[in-house]
Amino acid sequence: MSALPEYKTRVLLENEGVPLVPGAFFEAGAPLPDALPEPPIYIKAQIPGATSRAAHGLVRRCDTTEQLETGLKQLLAPGDWGQAEGVLAADAVKMTGEYYAACMLDFGTADKLPRGVMLFSTEGGSGVEQRTDSLRKISFSLLKPPNTDELTAKLDGVPDAVPAAKFLESFIKTFIRYKLIVLEANPIGVLEDGSLLVVDCRAEFENSAVGKKDRDLFAAPATAREDKTRLERLVEKVNEADPAGTGFIRENREPAPEGAWRVATNLCGGGGKMLWEMTTGAREDIYTMNESDTSGGLSAFKSYRVLRAILEMKDSQVLLLTGSGMGFQNQYHLAAAMWKALRESAAPLPALLRFGGTDEDKARDLIEKIAPTLSTPIKTYMPHIFPNAMVDDIPEMAAAQRIQTTPELLPDGEPSFSVDVPPGDFFYYPEKWDKEEAPPCVAACPNNFLAWNAEKRVVEPVEGARCIGCLICETVSLLEGAGELRIKLDMPEVE
Amino acid sequence: MNGILKHLIGIENPKVLVVGMTGKQGQGRTKMMMKMGVEILAGCTPGKGGQTVLDKPVFNNAKEAVAAHPQINCAVMYVPAPAVKAAAMDAMDAGIKFSVLTADGVPTHDEVVLKEYSKERGATYLGPNTVGMLDTAGYLFGLIGGSATWAKQNYLPGCVGVISRSGGLSQLLGAFHCRPNLPGPREDGTFGPLWGEKYPGVTAVMCTGGDPMPGVTMLDAARAFQKDERTKVIVAYGETGSSQENDLADAVKSGEITKPIIVFLGGMYTKAGVAQSHAGAMIRNEYETYAFKRKAMEDAGITVVERPDAVFAQTAKVLGL
Repeated sequence: MSALPEYKTRVLLENEGVPLVPGAFFEAGAPLPDALPEPPIYIKAQIPGATSRAAHGLVRRCDTTEQLETGLKQLLAPGDWGQAEGVLAADAVKMTGEYYAACMLDFGTADKLPRGVMLFSTEGGSGVEQRTDSLRKISFSLLKPPNTDELTAKLDGVPDAVPAAKFLESFIKTFIRYKLIVLEANPIGVLEDGSLLVVDCRAEFENSAVGKKDRDLFAAPATAREDKTRLERLVEKVNEADPAGTGFIRENREPAPEGAWRVATNLCGGGGKMLWEMTTGAREDIYTMNESDTSGGLSAFKSYRVLRAILEMKDSQVLLLTGSGMGFQNQYHLAAAMWKALRESAAPLPALLRFGGTDEDKARDLIEKIAPTLSTPIKTYMPHIFPNAMVDDIPEMAAAQRIQTTPELLPDGEPSFSVDVPPGDFFYYPEKWDKEEAPPCVAACPNNFLAWNAEKRVVEPVEGARCIGCLICETVSLLEGAGELRIKLDMPEVE
Repeated sequence: MNGILKHLIGIENPKVLVVGMTGKQGQGRTKMMMKMGVEILAGCTPGKGGQTVLDKPVFNNAKEAVAAHPQINCAVMYVPAPAVKAAAMDAMDAGIKFSVLTADGVPTHDEVVLKEYSKERGATYLGPNTVGMLDTAGYLFGLIGGSATWAKQNYLPGCVGVISRSGGLSQLLGAFHCRPNLPGPREDGTFGPLWGEKYPGVTAVMCTGGDPMPGVTMLDAARAFQKDERTKVIVAYGETGSSQENDLADAVKSGEITKPIIVFLGGMYTKAGVAQSHAGAMIRNEYETYAFKRKAMEDAGITVVERPDAVFAQTAKVLGL
């Protein structure tokens, strides 16, 4: 869930014809216009999700131009509240009353269908949450939203019920049109002529519900993007270049308790994350370096890149990886990515690896075969061993000091051929394979993407065939061939 | 065919329309379902009507497909999240009573609308955000199992009905019940085989999905297993968020569900209001917490375990293995 600041929520309401108090937005970092609005006016710092702004001095009344200029300068500069996106200057209107309205979702139960819910009060303004008796709860269908007449019938006792119902009809339409999780207006000003207008508002939304044409409006501000760590931005770039499947990490911002084992994780899917939480939620001796998820239909190329990012967390002592059940990811491909990441990392981690799912046995066999060649200890687990049992081995594995090593040299120069999706460069070295027949990497390709050109004695891509980025060709080339086919997977550049 | 869909929605012989069959995932999963013996009659993708994919005719929408093949009674959808609502409504309008919505990230508003729309039309759907379902009577919808070969080897006929809000755990809870001599922790604290060569096996595995408002809920699935004569015990993965586990507890308490139920409940340390492993696991009120759900289920007589590998010893105990 993400919060939308007031000035952007106003745009949504305006698009559905909901009346708003007149106002102007001043963006942080942009020069102030020569002509400022006429006082009296309220200025409000625009910080998504901020509450109790008035109490923190983030909402101010300006009765003079001098007060307005000073206030704008202060609120547009970084302060205790961080950096506001900007300041909204809204006219001070004369109100005869204050209403409250909020829309949200009722998720339903076995006996009750989920629906939209509107909370409405004629006693809005500060402290409305303490006046819960005044709140009316109006349930409505998202499929057939209520019209003015239907809403009027629900506003029994409200003065000027018809204009209020008209207002609320547009308010509900806004909630539905933008598929918001919360839309709140407080206060809604009642003017002398009985008309209503929104004085203050906010919204919460799901990123997945934002339509293409609205993405700019709902985009996170630059300040939010800057909060991400280098590795998180790196993985974001990996996703931009290779969107299929889930590749996600978030580093733990909390400091590690003294003496706790610092565990980097690669957990696949929501179930994997839940198993880890159930295992370590009460363990003060285990500090989780990061959340992560590699799941869905991601390629081994992408798994490799996410794993490389995870291995870059310098304070980690051990890596714990669990495979993704039995849905998407072939575990043999994941093991190939794990091996590549370990051998191409300058500081590979001692690793506890559990593969569970398609080709889990082949995955485990591969890792057990190559483990002696690595500079760090590796322990594998049968699929019926879950994180709750794996954690018992963390102290022993973490006791092996993480060492800096010379990573395997990556191929250099012009690749023999490349694949755009998922992105990777292939290097074929004919001098390493002097036999007549095709090297084993050709037959190992599960998608018939590779062919042996006997005349030129090179491995080539098959026209019209697709590389799924499984890394098995390189794995087989190293284990059964002579290392004649290598793949270079560039890591994105981030500052 | 005497599968679980008969008890869920009255479908004895599933005849399937694959929505989004022309896409990469659609084609791959269609091949997998065909290898599993699923009777696929057609596919549909907007604007691709008239094509033939995997020897199956492709139509522009479900209405056209059903007009040409009136036997179609199920739809399995491999469409992106923003297109799920329209595709599911199209299938329901065409008279299809059961759909599987695999996509992750369907807007919550769309899920609310689909619940109402399906109720009005007497239809239901599995998901969204599900790996699908399989029945050892002979069908598989979605992507559960990863490949037909794997699914055939790992999901074997037996007597355990599996329900799960997690894709990975639904598959794992299903497959491990089909492994001879499965080792695991026993109730007496020892570790070793929980049963012999004769494994419990599964009747069906239903992943209700990780979203807050699934079409088929845990209770809907349990009701189907209750009617299913093959199923002797129900094994489930539940977690925080939504009312599903509480609804299941109420049904057991009222005597509607009488078969033994074992639940691995996740979310012991989940904090209220925090986005969790699955979108549906977020706690919105006190009834959706781990503590409340655990008490409700245990009070109703449901066996609740705290770790996934503890499930299998409980199954062995219930079945007297």
